[in-house]
Amino acid sequence: MTDKPALSLDFKGLLCPMPVVKIAMAMKQVKVGQTVEAVATDPGVMADIPAWARTSGNELVELEKREKDIRFVVKRAK
Amino acid sequence: MTETIELALKTLEAQLNQPLETALEACARCGLCAEACHYYRAEPKVEHIPAYRSEQLRNVYRYEHDFLSRVFPAWTGAKKLDEVTLANLSEMAYSQCTLCRRCTVNCPLGVDTPLMMRAIRAMATATGNAPEILVMLADAAIEKGKDPSFYKDMFLEQIREMEEQLRDITGDPNASIPVEKQGTKILYVPLAGAHTILPPAVVFNAAKEDWTLSIFEAANYGVFLADVNRAKAVAKRIVDEANRLGVKEIVIAECGHAYASYRWDVPNWFAGQFDFKVRSLIEVLAEYIRDGKIKVDPTAIPEGVTYHDSCNLARNGGLIEEPRYVLNKITTDFREMTPNKAEAICCGGGGGLVALAEYTERRLAAGKPKADQIKKTGARVVVAACENCRLQIGDLNEHYNLNVRITALTDLVVRAMRLPKPLPGTEAEHLFEGEGALVEK
Repeated sequence: MTDKPALSLDFKGLLCPMPVVKIAMAMKQVKVGQTVEAVATDPGVMADIPAWARTSGNELVELEKREKDIRFVVKRAK
Repeated sequence: MTETIELALKTLEAQLNQPLETALEACARCGLCAEACHYYRAEPKVEHIPAYRSEQLRNVYRYEHDFLSRVFPAWTGAKKLDEVTLANLSEMAYSQCTLCRRCTVNCPLGVDTPLMMRAIRAMATATGNAPEILVMLADAAIEKGKDPSFYKDMFLEQIREMEEQLRDITGDPNASIPVEKQGTKILYVPLAGAHTILPPAVVFNAAKEDWTLSIFEAANYGVFLADVNRAKAVAKRIVDEANRLGVKEIVIAECGHAYASYRWDVPNWFAGQFDFKVRSLIEVLAEYIRDGKIKVDPTAIPEGVTYHDSCNLARNGGLIEEPRYVLNKITTDFREMTPNKAEAICCGGGGGLVALAEYTERRLAAGKPKADQIKKTGARVVVAACENCRLQIGDLNEHYNLNVRITALTDLVVRAMRLPKPLPGTEAEHLFEGEGALVEK
């Protein structure tokens, strides 16, 4: 479990590429070291969020598939 | 001259081929392109005239290529490129043109304004002036191609879950979603997300097609950046996959720019390694219905339905009659927008605009002509065979209170197949209750 996220976002119902667009925008609203938590329903995020985290230099702290949605936590690394 | 400006001009020079030079030289300033542009139709001001936009690049080109313009720039309006001009050009090319090419087909000289906007986009990308999010999306896609192992297990797990859903909704215990199957006829390339996998899987299974699913997505943000290297790197994932599996044909999901890219650009980029037929999923749907490979109920959709022609599919791709053939087989009240087909008005979401939150207001304003067209048909259902168009029309629906449902063509076809259960997670699921009755929003 990570520290309390600085932002918690609801991406349910959003389709590709909007979850990546929204999380990228959200990262600019938090300080380096803080985390953003989001919940999405588009299964595409399972591949897109890890790929985006790798290329954007942010750290994917958690990614879990739950019964009805997918939750992920990203830490701003730079 | 700064390094940035040097790089921008070098990028422009590298793109100067015969079509671009012709576009840069040929404008007669007749202004016929104005009414062709949805930006101008929505807000008739000079900045929204395609010829005006092109002129901004022509001014820079003249300064570099015309002796008189270089010595007496004020005589010809020539402009020496500087950082401010480059930033203004970049913003214009990314936020005031969706690369729809309606101006080109309405130009008596065929001046390709979008080609010039692409040249500016390339200059912007090379110099770090392109929208960050488009760069990020392209780079994330390339990363997925470098090492699919970091998401492949999760992807396969999701496909197995979708397969269960597929069997449930079709009632066919043998229905399947093959992934990376060797030697099939078709490699189907979806977009990210179940909504472009499950409905086509229903259709492919019903048609008993020999197919396999790509582990990559068809979208290519390198195309929007006019960055051939990035666009090629994104496309290479699928070209390599198709070669590795030995398929005969690549079928692209309902996506305008991906279809245009794989149909027209990719075979040239990978000449010698690309021996595949490329079709859009909508062509495959038309074939299956025409040849009786899938059975559809011609009375399945009694509500008023209209079709939005994606610029990349219709004007630039020639896919005009196929979606109409399909719709006429599954609807009883199909209504055309005017103008349509090759003359269709852009929805305002193309060129990567839907992903750029900073231009949302501009995008919604430019979508007004499309919103008016939809309203005029009185249809309750809007079919769009492009994801960007669907996202944009969804936003227009809310912004202009259109009170319509927006759906993909495949979802509607699946609905007309009268399956035992509705497709989960699609607009088509919400569209109808019981035997085709439209559910109020």
